Amino acid sequence: MASPARTLQPPFSFLLRLRKSYIVRRTLNAFFKVFLVTTLIFFLIRLMPASPVDVYINLLISQYGMPYEEARNMAAALFSLDLDAPLHLQYIDFLLNLLKGDLGISLVSRGTPVIQMIGRFLPWTLFSVGVAILLSFSVGMLLGMFMAYRRGSLLDTLLTTFASVMSSIPNYLVAILLLVFVGVQWQWVSIHAMRGSLSPGVVPGFNWTFISDALYHAALPIFTYFITTVGQWMLSMKSSTMSTLEEDYVTVARARGLPDRRIALMYVGRNASLPLFTQLALQIGFAAGAGLLIETFFVYQGVGKLLIDSINQRDYTVMQGCFLIITVMVIFANLFADLLYGRLDPRIRIVGGGS
Amino acid sequence: MDSDSILKVENLSVIYQSRRGPVRAVREVSFDLKKGENLALIGESGCGKTTLGLALIRLLSKSARIVQGKILYRQGDRIIDVLSLSDDEVRRFRWQECAMVFQAALNAFNPVIRIWDHIYETAKSHGWTNRNEVREEALELFRMVQLDPHRVIDAYPHELSGGMRQRVLIAMSLLLKPQILILDEPTTALDILTQRTIIELLRRLKEEFHFSMIFISHDLALAAELADRVATMYAGRIIELTDVDSAFERPRHPYTYSLIRTVPTVHGDFQQLQSIPGSPPDLITPPQGCRFHPRCAFMTGSCLDEDPNLMPVDEKSAVACWRWREIDLRIKEAAER
Repeated sequence: MASPARTLQPPFSFLLRLRKSYIVRRTLNAFFKVFLVTTLIFFLIRLMPASPVDVYINLLISQYGMPYEEARNMAAALFSLDLDAPLHLQYIDFLLNLLKGDLGISLVSRGTPVIQMIGRFLPWTLFSVGVAILLSFSVGMLLGMFMAYRRGSLLDTLLTTFASVMSSIPNYLVAILLLVFVGVQWQWVSIHAMRGSLSPGVVPGFNWTFISDALYHAALPIFTYFITTVGQWMLSMKSSTMSTLEEDYVTVARARGLPDRRIALMYVGRNASLPLFTQLALQIGFAAGAGLLIETFFVYQGVGKLLIDSINQRDYTVMQGCFLIITVMVIFANLFADLLYGRLDPRIRIVGGGS
Repeated sequence: MDSDSILKVENLSVIYQSRRGPVRAVREVSFDLKKGENLALIGESGCGKTTLGLALIRLLSKSARIVQGKILYRQGDRIIDVLSLSDDEVRRFRWQECAMVFQAALNAFNPVIRIWDHIYETAKSHGWTNRNEVREEALELFRMVQLDPHRVIDAYPHELSGGMRQRVLIAMSLLLKPQILILDEPTTALDILTQRTIIELLRRLKEEFHFSMIFISHDLALAAELADRVATMYAGRIIELTDVDSAFERPRHPYTYSLIRTVPTVHGDFQQLQSIPGSPPDLITPPQGCRFHPRCAFMTGSCLDEDPNLMPVDEKSAVACWRWREIDLRIKEAAER
């Protein structure tokens, strides 16, 4: 008996094939997750104590000594958003706008579309976190492999100790230590000049002035991410390499007379690094959240700082936007890692995965 | 070194460093391998067979050291001292002169690259860079080991069955036409039918390529079928080295004798089956005198004093036992009764 799929007309069988495709399934799944998290965030942030209006009233009272009545009137006039509308109507409104790609308008910085604010802050986060992850991933892998090859040596012992210590210190602590000692006590760098994402007057463009200035301002956050994550990569890669070195195919490769360099690269390195790519995705997720404190400490103009500021001011729309971005980053990093893993390890390639 | 020998091992000893002390895995082993000859290394697990095989291509792990001895290899008119080769020379010696097929063929291939990549990188590492030539040769070898050449060459290792992988490895071991093929338990992980195929295959490949073979096995049936000579190893030493007929019909060493009696024969009855009492000795603190004496039924006082060396019995055989003459007589009498 022919299966129903085979008897269907071409357009339908195409749809069926599409449904079976691994990538399509995973992508749909990812979108569903984004939707779920976004919904949760929408309601959760509205459960936070004090609305943006309350926060603004408090600000006016404490900063300008306004009487409560006057502050309240002023705040009400400022906020055009009807926060008293029923929650489900607000939610539907939010979803419809989201479908159009509209994240709304900031409640506090009035008139500025959220998407524009994120567009201004996000590149800096991507830049600093991206450089840091790339750096710590590659340095950690190289050192981890080195440690596995030289296991038991003095250098291995030292590096392992360093890695264990560094991976157990939280990054905000490192940030504070950097600020207090390197910045204030010893004055090795001028943390004043390093604030922000760019020096005044530097225009973005593909030139050395811009790149070096961007790196200069991002140096402290990058260093903090790097130093707190590199240990994990080193330890993971070390243990992964050590077990790969025991594999029969490594012995056979040596018996086949392959040069040691090729064995280290194609046999040990390639196989040992496979499990690390899954970890990489998780790291990207955590780094997006880790930016919150680090960017605030170093006054770096990234999404993390934007989010902290918007939380303090209860700027609901900006918060939603930031959370959405972080969610999308985490979920799609995971998706990307899954697909990448399939490309790297032929055993994982799924039938019907297509490309 | 005799002119018809391809390999000569003299007085070879290998020691592993362990926390409890040095493990004498191979002790003063000497043998030679003739051109085109099949030598079987048999013995229980842990008797040093695999270590000896690995030592021949200097592939021992870092904790192992060759403490004494010589490995001489004949390449045309030249005689090469394998132990004095530089690292790069050893690298080229492996596979090109002496290939080793391992026990665990299931894991012998890098899971992330195709069979063809394995083949080509092997050829390339030995200076053979003509892709078309290598591919033609590989396809021909696959055909000879009864694999579907085009399907196999572009497959990833996990797409092949265990028996197929074993055959791919055997085919690949002949890619560079080595003079010696070392097979470490070539059939152990395979089912009985696949074992059969591999044995037939090795026979045919030998006829075609005329290599010499050393195969390491605890499978006596395999040894009986493929070997010209049999070397029995016990506690790191070769304790009997003899032609295949003598090994099975007239073993001189009590250990070889017991070993053969542990395996059922096709027409023998099962009552004759006997296990060897005791267990293999600890190689860190081996027994005094003959290493086999605690398990030997023929043990006398002299066995406790000195470990016998391999001594010639006739032109074909040598045995390391003080009492081989008496044992020889006893076995003959038993056979006649």
